[in-house]
This record gives sequence, C-alpha cells and structure tokens, in this order.
Amino acid sequence: MTTNATECLLQLCDEQFQLEDYQSGVPRWCSGCGDNAILAAVQRLCRDEALRPEKTVFVSGIGCSSRFPHYMKTYGFHGIHGRALPVAEGVKMARPDLTVFVNTGDGDCCSIGAAHWIHAIRYNMNLTVFLHDNQIYGLTKKQASPTSPIGTKSNTTPRGSYLEALNPVSVTLGVQNVSFVAQAVDWIPEVLFDIVKAAYHHRGLSFVRIVQRCPEWLPKSFDPWLHDPNRVQILAHANGLHPSAALSRTYKNQLEHDPSNIHRARELAGDSVNIPVGILYRNPEVPCYEDLIRPDLLRTPELTRSVLDSEMDKYTIWP
Amino acid sequence: MLEQIEGSVAVARAVALCRPEVICAYPISPQTHIVEGLGELVRSGALSPCEFINVESEFAAMSVAIGASAAGARSYTATASQGLLFMAEAVYNASGLGLPIVMTVANRAIGAPINIWNDHSDSMSQRDCGWLQLFAESNQEALDLHLQAFKLAEELSMPVMVCMDGFILTHAYERVSIPSQAEVDAFLPPYEPRQVLDPNEPVSIGAMVGPEAFMEVRYLAHKKQRMALERIPEIAAEFRARFGRDSGGLLHPYRMEDAETVVIALGSVLGTLKDTVDELRAAGVPIGVLGIASFRPFPLEALRAALSPAKRVVVLEKSFSVGLGGVVSTDVRLAVAGLALRGSTVVAGLGGRAITKDSLLCVLARALRDELPDLTFLDLDQGLVDRQLERERAVRRSGPIAENLLRDVGTVASKVH
Ligand SMILES: Cc1ncc(C[n+]2csc(CCOP(=O)(O)OP(=O)(O)O)c2C)c(N)n1
Ligand code: SF4
Ligand SMILES: [Mg+2]
Repeated sequence: MTTNATECLLQLCDEQFQLEDYQSGVPRWCSGCGDNAILAAVQRLCRDEALRPEKTVFVSGIGCSSRFPHYMKTYGFHGIHGRALPVAEGVKMARPDLTVFVNTGDGDCCSIGAAHWIHAIRYNMNLTVFLHDNQIYGLTKKQASPTSPIGTKSNTTPRGSYLEALNPVSVTLGVQNVSFVAQAVDWIPEVLFDIVKAAYHHRGLSFVRIVQRCPEWLPKSFDPWLHDPNRVQILAHANGLHPSAALSRTYKNQLEHDPSNIHRARELAGDSVNIPVGILYRNPEVPCYEDLIRPDLLRTPELTRSVLDSEMDKYTIWP
Repeated sequence: MLEQIEGSVAVARAVALCRPEVICAYPISPQTHIVEGLGELVRSGALSPCEFINVESEFAAMSVAIGASAAGARSYTATASQGLLFMAEAVYNASGLGLPIVMTVANRAIGAPINIWNDHSDSMSQRDCGWLQLFAESNQEALDLHLQAFKLAEELSMPVMVCMDGFILTHAYERVSIPSQAEVDAFLPPYEPRQVLDPNEPVSIGAMVGPEAFMEVRYLAHKKQRMALERIPEIAAEFRARFGRDSGGLLHPYRMEDAETVVIALGSVLGTLKDTVDELRAAGVPIGVLGIASFRPFPLEALRAALSPAKRVVVLEKSFSVGLGGVVSTDVRLAVAGLALRGSTVVAGLGGRAITKDSLLCVLARALRDELPDLTFLDLDQGLVDRQLERERAVRRSGPIAENLLRDVGTVASKVH
C-alpha cells in the first residue's frame, strides 16, 4: 500500500467539475445502445457529486457494456470475462478510500461470473454495481444469455430459448447480506439518474439492474414497455424515488413501496408483466466487509501525516 | 460433395457427421460460428438424438462434457483463448479420467492485453494437459481431423483437441469436400464406451490415487499418447483409402527432397511457407517445409528421421514461452539432439500480426547465410520496445504498458470481441 503525497495535498482544496472532466473518447457502442444512456447518467452523477476522477474507479469484465471504463476519464480496469466483481473487491480492499463502480453485462455477471456475483452480495463491500442487462451476449454477436426471455431467437437458440429467464433482481434479493437492490430502464433518464444516485449514496454493495436496449441484436425486445408506459411501474416512496410531476404525467402506473420491506421487494421483483422501476430494497444496517476487517487501518493518520511532511519538504528552502 | 463454406461451418458439419450425443459450449470469438452452426443443426433435428447445451461458461462446458462422456455419450465442445484457460482445471480432469472428448480450439491469443486474433498461445498453454493436439493446415483438414479425432479418442480413451487458426481458418470461405453420412459411418464406428453405467457393476469415477499408483496412471496417459504415434498414421492411411485425400498424420513434408534447410511450422501458416519455399526452390535453394500435424503426441522419431539429412532447421512458431523462447522449438531441439544441425526459432504472428512472404523471405535469407540468431521475433518493432523500456527507466510511475504502446503507435484501444 502506498499513499501519494500529492494526493494528500489535493484533498485540501475543493474542486468544481464539468461533464467533460469525466468524458473520455467517443463511445463505440451502436447508436441507440442503452449503454450510452447509462454512461450519461453516470457522468452526470460524477459531476454532481464532484467525484475526483483520480479517486474514482470503474471496473468491468468483458462485453460491450464492459467497455464502459474506457469512456470515463477516471481510473478504469477492463478485466477478463466474468471477473469484474472480484477485481473490484481487490481494488476496494487495497484502497478503501476510492469510489469503486462496477459495470458488468448479463453474460459477465449472470453466467460466467455468477459465482462471484453471489459472494459479492454477501461480502457487501461498498461498491456500486451496474448490471447492464440487454438480455443477450452483445459483443459476441447475439447468443442467448441467462436473462434472455424464454423464446428468444439467437444464434445459439435459433428456434428460441427454452428456459425461463433468470431474474437478476430476484436472485440478488435472495442472497444473504443483500443491502441495496434497484431496477432502472435506460429509456427514462430522469429515473435512471435518481437510481444511480441513490445507489452511489448507499454504503454497501448497491446492485442496480438496468434494463438496457440492444438495438443491434434485439431491436424490438423492449417495445411493449417502451410503447406502453403503463407497463413500467414506478416505485415511489419517501425513502425511495420521488417522481416529478412531469414524469408522473407519462408514467402513471406508480406504487408506494417501502424499500425496507424485503418481502414486498421480492414479490415486486417477480412481476413478469410490468417492469418495476425504483429502489426495491435498501438496508443500511447490513455491515460492510470493510467495517469488519478495517483495511483503512493500513492508512492511518500517522501515515498520511508522514507523506504530507515529505511532500512539504520538497518546497523547503534551506537557509 | 464440394461446397464453398466457412471453415466454422465445415467443422460444424464434420462434428455433426460424427453423430455426437452431447454438445456443450460457451461462445467466444473466433469459435462462435462453430457452435452456432451446431446449435442450428441440433435444433433443426438434423442431428437427433443429440443434446445441445448452452452452458454458462467454458468451465461448465468442459464439465458437462466430462459428465456426459462418463455417462457413455460421444461428447464435443469447442472454445478458444480465454475460454480454454478458464476451463483448464476440467481439461486436465478429462484427460486424467481418460474420457474421449473431442474439442475444437479456434486458436487465439491470450490476454492481457485483450486480443482476439490468431496465434497458438492458447492450445500451447495446455501442451502438457494430456490431451492429444492435432493442428489443421486448411479448412479441409480441419473437417477431416474431426472425423479422425473421434476415432482416435475413442480407440485410446483419450481426449483430443483439434486446433485450427482462429479467423484465418474459422472465418475463411473455402471449397471443402463434405463426406456423406454413410462414408463417415463406415469410417467411425459407434462409440463403445469403456466406462458405462451398469447396475451390475456400479463404479464411482474419480478415485483418489495416492503415491502408490498416481505415477502409473499418468504414465499410462503417456503410454497411450505414444501408442497414438502409431495409430495416427494408420488412421490417416485409412482415411486416405476411404476419402481419397491426405489429411492428418504426424508430419506434413513439403519439398523435402535434398532439403538442406527445413522450416517447421504448425497450422495455416504452412500455406504461406510453401509459397515462400516454392519461390526459393525456383531460385535453386534446397529448402523444404515440415508441418507438424500432431503436436501431442510429439513425433520425436519421425521428426528426427525427416531432419537428419538437413543442415539447418528454422522453427516458425506462433507461440512463445516467455523467458525462454519457442515452445515448439524446445520439442524440436529434443528430437534432433546430437544431430549436426543449426537451429533457430522465429516467433511470428503473435496476436494476429500478419506473417508475410516478404518477411519470411528476409528471415530465411538470413538463415541461409547462417546469420539468423537462435531466437528472432518476426517484424518486431524494436523501437517501440526500447521507448517503453526507456520510459520505465526514466519514471517509476510509467503506467500500463499496453496503453503506452498504443499511444506510441498512434492507435486507440480497438474494439474487442
Ligand atoms: C472466458 C471467456 N469466455 C468467453 C468470452 C467471449 N465473450 C466475450 S463478451 C461475452 C458475453 C458478453 O455478454 P454480456 O456480458 O451480456 O455483455 P454485452 O456484450 O451484452 O454488454 C463473451 C461470451 C471471453 N471473452 N472470455
Ligand atoms: S451490440 Fe448491442 S449492446 Fe453492443 S453496442 Fe451494439 S447495441 Fe449496444
Ligand atoms: Mg448482455
């Protein structure tokens, strides 16, 4: 573990950030890809929360969605398929002071990385996890994923997939120590942003399943929900989303849901007709792994002081 | 029947002709078209009775194949690169248990840095896993090797990998001859498992073996691979008799008559090499090519016999043992130990770098003048390497290597699959 002296100094001044401070490169996602909307919401979050780019990390696996870190002007780690969560855990343990986000796809998280997913929920480290769920393997060009709805025609299921889709929200809600679960859709930016923000503010593992359009391989998949706003059910609550008047004019199907009620959250998650959007569950009382093992003890105030001293020494003018 | 089809489709058709009973796979470029092709055949009923399972990872793919094979089914899977590495534990398990699974490896580089293009690092990393490894030179051979692989695997009760160059072969459209089902049935008898589920003789597979017999079990695997050295040419001969073409075998000699210089390689690069050698032959240079078709078992004696009249050997390989040099060359060196041969290794084509005839002519000219060092990296950009080393010397926090080099060559990270 090392502490950067310059960084200690930087902590002393307040900074203002613009969106450009978080934008890197031109995303190579297809036009209309839901990942673009997620990127916009996350960049806005970073700006509004004035997250210092050098104190922020985006970790991903492999997939279209896992290209995310390349488009953030923060630290990024584009790893191997399925391993985003344990890599993020490693980063968090070594540097508990960093804000760590994870971007993972439905293949990355729910198939090849599924074992890590379960354990990450149980560890409950302070990470914000975005599951970009386009219900398909996008990057490898259209193969059914565990979240593909039954009947999905893909290159590996030419006559339609024959298994009931795995519901990532229900699964997450079923794991010991779950502390935050939300669901968003990429096509309602206002709500997407509010959810991303709530997830960021939760201390513990925040799991956000974002229903993400993939116009390249499943162009019509979400049409029933896009064309009928009543099939998107907004979960509102004093401790959850507060939908604006403008939003409520379009999205009239709203439900009061108290995010502390896990049983109700599980029932809602199982809705196969509507997409419930909002904070399904939040429990700030679940202890974080970091609180149990205290990796920050490695970064004691004494250490910070000593590196600050050494940095200051550089400017000493000896008589 | 001759058809103009993609290499992956040819392999899918070949596997289908072998009447597999369980196919399981997880997609990864450049293997995807093979399993997609098979998925289509299974769903259309053309392959009945066969189960096609879309599993959740390569580790699952190999494990399902192991379970299916242990239960007596002819089992197949395919992968590449990261996928092969991810399944490695199960790969060893399959060979340790003597299960005759056939797997296609659509050869691709291993990351980091992420790279989807062809080289042989993936299958070479599993060199010692106990599987037989056959390398295809063309799409026709890839197709043919699958028919031979099932036969070989089941005769020996050993798993076989058929390695074919990712993209270069898997995605190339070539004319291939597709045998009829009747021809394949005559060549490949139905699978007669060595281990069956028999209520009269219940067994539990996967015994723990201690020092008293572990070495013997491993030795048996080796012994069977050595037996394969005899069976592989016989099966190739039988194949020729039935299908009328040369495919498989241990070695592919080309213009080896009086060759003083011999270039050794595996896979599709043999095509470019043959063209290059034709040109040199036309200029009167006594040079030949020796393709290695069976990398495991490694044909030590056959190679030694083929190389003993030569004066020089150049091993051109798409794999690389970091800290040592060539992987294939190490084996070749063993084969020619004691012969008065000058040998050099040329590592080429890593991560899909094109191996051009011009570069080959250049490197072979140096070999002919006996000026080729022991180890050369074809078309290596030394300047790029030096710049990074300099950077690392100058600053401690020099940053991630791949990103630095990409910046130096002026590319942004390219789209990955
Ligand atoms: C071990 C391994 N197996 C397979 C692959 C090939 N592969 C790359 S991305 C991917 C699936 C991507 O799907 P998803 O996670 O849903 O991301 P998306 O592209 O849809 O955003 C696969 C199978 C790989 N890179 N590594
Ligand atoms: S293939 Fe689908 S998920 Fe990938 S970039 Fe295109 S639209 Fe997005
Ligand atoms: Mg996906």
